[in-house]
Amino acid sequence: MSSYYPFGRRAAMRGSFAAGMAVLVVFGIVPAVGVLAISFTNVRALPFLPVDWVGLDNYLAFFSPARLDYNLNAVRNTLIYSVTSTTITIALSLAIAVLLNQKLRGRTFARALVFLPTVLGVTVIGLIWTLIFNPSAGPAATVWAWFGADSAFFGDQRIALALVIFVQVWAGLGVSVVIFLAGLQAIPEELYEVASIDGASSWQKLRLVTIPMLAPSITANVLLGIVGSLQNYQLAYVLTGPNNAATQLLSLAIFSQGFGGSSAAGAGQSQGYAASISMIQFVIVGVISLAVLAYLRKREARL
Amino acid sequence: MSATTTRRRKPIQRSTVVNYVLLAIVVLAYLFPLAFLLNTALKSNAAFSADPIGLVTSPQFGNFAEAWEKGNFGAYILNSVLYTGAASLIGLVVSLLIGFPVSRGYLKHTRLWNLLFVVMLFLPNALITQFQLMLRLGLYDTQIGYILIMSAGVGVGPLLISGFVKSIPIELDEAAALDGVGYWRYLVSFVIPLAKPALATVFILQAIGVWNDIILATIMLTDPAKSPVTLGLFAFQGTYTSQWGLLGAATMIVAAPLIVAYVFLQRYLINGVIGGAVKG
Repeated sequence: MSSYYPFGRRAAMRGSFAAGMAVLVVFGIVPAVGVLAISFTNVRALPFLPVDWVGLDNYLAFFSPARLDYNLNAVRNTLIYSVTSTTITIALSLAIAVLLNQKLRGRTFARALVFLPTVLGVTVIGLIWTLIFNPSAGPAATVWAWFGADSAFFGDQRIALALVIFVQVWAGLGVSVVIFLAGLQAIPEELYEVASIDGASSWQKLRLVTIPMLAPSITANVLLGIVGSLQNYQLAYVLTGPNNAATQLLSLAIFSQGFGGSSAAGAGQSQGYAASISMIQFVIVGVISLAVLAYLRKREARL
Repeated sequence: MSATTTRRRKPIQRSTVVNYVLLAIVVLAYLFPLAFLLNTALKSNAAFSADPIGLVTSPQFGNFAEAWEKGNFGAYILNSVLYTGAASLIGLVVSLLIGFPVSRGYLKHTRLWNLLFVVMLFLPNALITQFQLMLRLGLYDTQIGYILIMSAGVGVGPLLISGFVKSIPIELDEAAALDGVGYWRYLVSFVIPLAKPALATVFILQAIGVWNDIILATIMLTDPAKSPVTLGLFAFQGTYTSQWGLLGAATMIVAAPLIVAYVFLQRYLINGVIGGAVKG
């Protein structure tokens, strides 16, 4: 026994630990690791069909001319979605956090309100914004009409993705604001006093004190934002459906290729192919987040 | 801090005014969609088509009763309560059972287990394999299968618990053990009462995820009688596409309990988000 343990025999502790791990392993880790194995097969949604080993066929299919356009579109949408929503969320949430960190009446209420969408969930959020962007009669249509314009909003291929990004930012700001606020409250007051004595303007204080001191929160937020948005698709699903080319995201493609949503699919389609999309997405998410993490850590170290 | 605190004597400053204007914009951006939802929920179809964005004149509270009945929301909410309660409770127990001994170093390879807790946060999208697992275990389209899948989504739970347990002095373990308290009784009568805030946070974080899930429910539960309320609302939207008053009322029915719960549980939730971000 290498480590210390006061409760006598370790069987009780080991047994309950093993039971807990078993739940995670069977229903979480095995499926996640199994994606890789399954992506080399032609496993289908029907359990009685034989499963064959197909090697790299699914990956080759991903890049085959017949599917390349569809997949490249999904990759492009995913990257646009991820980069734009993360950037806007960080900038806006930093501004809101700095604002809510001032001694203002009602700031607790405002913070609670900004965080509320986190609790409401995609279905409710989706319906609220469908209501607002109702093309025939909604507040957004009214505003558009002031400028003599009209729009199909989520039905318009040119702006559907932008609108989904907008809703994503609206819904995701809260988490980011809360993380920034925690970071802001950890900055010692003295730094600002010293800066004031040195004659720093508000803008200089923000740029030279606040932002450098917030570096760890920024890293956390950027990473959460990128990883989250690269994998997030529930909002796009609820707002525009699983088969809208304008808002087709890689993770949504996994769903529609694996579970029928797409027109080419049926119950007999290969879920192995969808699993290969999962793996490709995983690699993209991994590479991008590690690169971003390395960059931000380096910046943190310089500051 | 800004000029507002350092120079309090001057009655009103320009920067203060600007701050309040900005604050008002933020509040409006979040209040308006909810207010518009409530406004729509109280309108009859005729009133909505006559003036979709005007303030409601004769509130139709009947919309709520009608939506409740037509959408079968009572049954869906019961399903959601069952899924959320059961899955989050299993997830919480799992997080405690694995987080506590790892935090204490009562197992070998503490570092390895900690690393595993972090790696679990970044695993690939497992929709396909989770579906295949359920299919082959005969748990497809069963409530227990869905609960088990959702319970494995513990997220930052084990990390939050193992972090919090460090604030409980290890001497307490020793003292209790000397008094003949066994491991499980120690967890139940000492750790659980002491770690209540962390446990509440872990439970709430997972509960939000389970309550709001729509994709896994779509895949795993084909029988509408087993639908959680998210699927129920989504189906309702598909059926009553242009009846905006009814649709608004249905959305309010689903959102209201969340908003009420949020008012009371906000503190735990925000602590969890901050803790999770620092750990993750």
